[in-house]
Amino acid sequence: MSVRPPPRVLVLRCPELCEPEVFERVIAVLAGFCPAVEAVEPGVCAFGARGPARYFGGETVLAGKIIAAVAGVDVEGRIGIADGLFAALLAARGGHPVTVVPPGRAAEFLAPQPVSVLLDQDQDLAGLLYRLGLRTLGDLAALSAADVASRFGDAGEAAHRLARGGSRPLAVRPPDEDLSVAKEFDPPESRSEPVVFAAKALAERMLSGLTARGLTCVRVQVLARWADGRQSSRRWRHDGMLSAVQVADRVRWQLDGWQSADEPTERTEPTADGAATAGGIVLLRLIPDQVVRATGHQLALWGETAVSDRVARAAMRVQAMLGPEAVLRPATGGGRDAREQVTHVSFGEKGEPSRSGGQPWPGRIMGPAPGLVYPENLEARVTDGAGQAVTVSGRCVVSASPAALAVGGGPPRPVTGWAGPWPLSEHWWDPAAARRRARFQLETDDGRAWLASVQDGRWQVEAGYW
Amino acid sequence: MLSQAGDPGLGPKLGSAWISPSTGGILPALPALRDLLPRGGLARGSVVAIAEFGLLCLALAAGASADGAWCAIAGVPEAGVLAAVGLGLDADRTLIVPDPGPSWPQVVASLLDGCELVLLRPPSRAPAVVQRRLEASLRRAGGVLLVAGEWPGAQLCLRVGRQQWTGLGDGHGRLRACRAEVTADGRGEAARTRTRWLWLPAEDGRVAAVDPADLSLAEAPFAGDPPRLQAVGAG
Repeated sequence: MSVRPPPRVLVLRCPELCEPEVFERVIAVLAGFCPAVEAVEPGVCAFGARGPARYFGGETVLAGKIIAAVAGVDVEGRIGIADGLFAALLAARGGHPVTVVPPGRAAEFLAPQPVSVLLDQDQDLAGLLYRLGLRTLGDLAALSAADVASRFGDAGEAAHRLARGGSRPLAVRPPDEDLSVAKEFDPPESRSEPVVFAAKALAERMLSGLTARGLTCVRVQVLARWADGRQSSRRWRHDGMLSAVQVADRVRWQLDGWQSADEPTERTEPTADGAATAGGIVLLRLIPDQVVRATGHQLALWGETAVSDRVARAAMRVQAMLGPEAVLRPATGGGRDAREQVTHVSFGEKGEPSRSGGQPWPGRIMGPAPGLVYPENLEARVTDGAGQAVTVSGRCVVSASPAALAVGGGPPRPVTGWAGPWPLSEHWWDPAAARRRARFQLETDDGRAWLASVQDGRWQVEAGYW
Repeated sequence: MLSQAGDPGLGPKLGSAWISPSTGGILPALPALRDLLPRGGLARGSVVAIAEFGLLCLALAAGASADGAWCAIAGVPEAGVLAAVGLGLDADRTLIVPDPGPSWPQVVASLLDGCELVLLRPPSRAPAVVQRRLEASLRRAGGVLLVAGEWPGAQLCLRVGRQQWTGLGDGHGRLRACRAEVTADGRGEAARTRTRWLWLPAEDGRVAAVDPADLSLAEAPFAGDPPRLQAVGAG
C-alpha cells in the first residue's frame, strides 16, 4: 500500500501570545503570505507551505520573512515546517526560531519525541503508553499497526499513524451537502456570553447533524455578522475531533479578539456601546469545513461516571456565565497534604489524579480528614504561655508548649490540646521545590481543631477540623 | 430488558429526581442524622440553613450523594472533599463552583436545574426578592438548597453547639474523633427543637450517634471547666 506523503505544512507558534487581539493581528500579517490561514488553537496557526514556499523562493526564506513580519507587530514567533500538521506543530515547539524537517523525513524527526507529546491528542492514551514502557514515538511507530489497533483501538491507531509521520485526517472530502448551522439574533446581541452560549447549542446541532450522516468534522468555520454589516470569519482546526464545548471556546476567543480589537470600550459598557458602534451580532454561522468519516467513539470501558444530559446542561450554563474553569469535578488521589490529595478538573475535561492514591505517602497526617482545606494557607500566630512565638529547631524540638493560636489576624484563642511536631521534608532532591516544614494539630477552647505548620519561623494554618 | 441495560440505575434515579415536592419527596440523609430531621431526610424544594460551613454541611450532602443524587458545592473553595468522601459523598457526582461571583443567584438556579442538592455559602447577602425567586426555582426543580450561613425563611436550621475532639494530648497523640452537639429547629413540622450528640466525624471518618454512656464523659469537661467563662476570665 503506497501512502501519499502528507502535504507540507507551516506552523507559526507564538509562545508568549495571550491576548486575542494580538493574535488577530498576527493572522492578518500571515494573510499577506497565504490567504487560507487556519487558526489551530489560540496562539498557533498553520497553512499549507508548498505554494507560498515556491513563490517566496524556498521554505527557509519564507520562514525568515514571516518571522520578520511578525516581529513587526511585536510578537516573537517560532516556525516549524514539516510533512503534515502534527510534525510541523512539534517542530514549531523546538528551541530554534525556524525548524524545517525535510520532506519525507517526518518519521525520523518524530522518533525521538517522548510519547507525552500525544497528551494534546489523548491524555489517557499517552499515560498508558508511557506506563507500558513505550517512551518515544519511535517505540510506538516500531510496533505493527495491526497490533496497536487491536490493543488500543481507534485512538491507538490514530496515534500510531501520527507517530509514523502520517497525518490525520487521511480521508478529507468536501461536504456534498450544506451541513452548516446558523442562528440569527433579533434583537442584535451586543454581549459575547449569550452568543457563546448559543454557539454551544449550535455546535451540538451541527455535530448531531454530522453524526446522523456518519461524519465528523476536523475543522470548523465560524462566521459572525454584526448589525452594521461587518463580519468576522475564521477557520478553527484541531487534529483531534472537536467537541461542542471546544467549538464554543473558539467562538468566544474569536469574538473577544474581534470586539476588543475594534471597539476597546465594548467590554466596559457592553450594552450601550456595542449597540451604538457595531450594532451587536445578528448572525452566527458554524460551517463544518473538513468533514471526515467518523470512526466511532467507544464509551470508556471503566472509570468515568456517565454524566446525564441534565447535569451537563446545568454545568455548561454555569460555564457559559463564568468561564470553563469555574465548574470543577474533584478526583481524589494520594499526597501528603489534604490539599494535594484532591485534584480538580474542569467540567467536560478528562483527568486523572495527579498523584497516585495506591502508594504510601510518608508524612501524611493520619486520622479523619479535615472538613475545611484552605486553598491558600492562612497566616497564623502561635504563642507560648509567656506570649512568645513558638519555634521549632532544626532537630525538631519545640521551644515551648503552644498556649494560644490566632488565625488570620483574629483574636488569640487558648490552645487546649496539641500534638506534633511532625517533620515533613518534601522534594529534598530538587533544590528549587524543596521545603521543610513541621506540622502540628492544635485544638482550641471552642472545640475546634486546626492543622498548622511552621516553616522558617512562619506559622500557617492549612486546614480546619470541624 | 436488554435495551435498558445501557444505563443501569440511571432511569429509576432520574425518575425519583422528578417527584414533585408536593408529593412530599425527601432526599435521604445519613442514618445518624435522620433523628435530627423532621421526616428523616431533607424535604425536596426546601431550604436548609446551617449556621456555619463545616463537616455537618458535608455530612448532609453526603447522604443524598450516597443515594445517587448529584451535588454541587458553590462558594466554598475550602470544602474538604476528602472528608466529604469519607462521610459518603460520591466525588464522581459532585460539581464544585469555587467562586460563583456576583451573579451567584443565577448560578445557583442553573445548578439546581441539574443537581438535586446544592450546598451554597452566599458570597453576599441576597435581597429578599432574589431569595424568593431562588426559592421558587428550588420548588420547581424539586431539589434541596443547603445554605451555610443565614437564610431568613429557611424551613430547617441546624447548628453545631459544643464540640470536643478526642485523641489530642499535651504534645502527643493525634485527632481521632469529635463529639458534636447538633441542634435542629425550624418552621412547621420542624418547629420542635431537637438536639443530638453525634460523632462528627467518628474514628472511621463517618458520622455516628454518640452512645449515651460516652455522653456523660463528653459532658464532664464542659461541666467541670466551662470554656466560655474561661475565655472571659482570660481577657
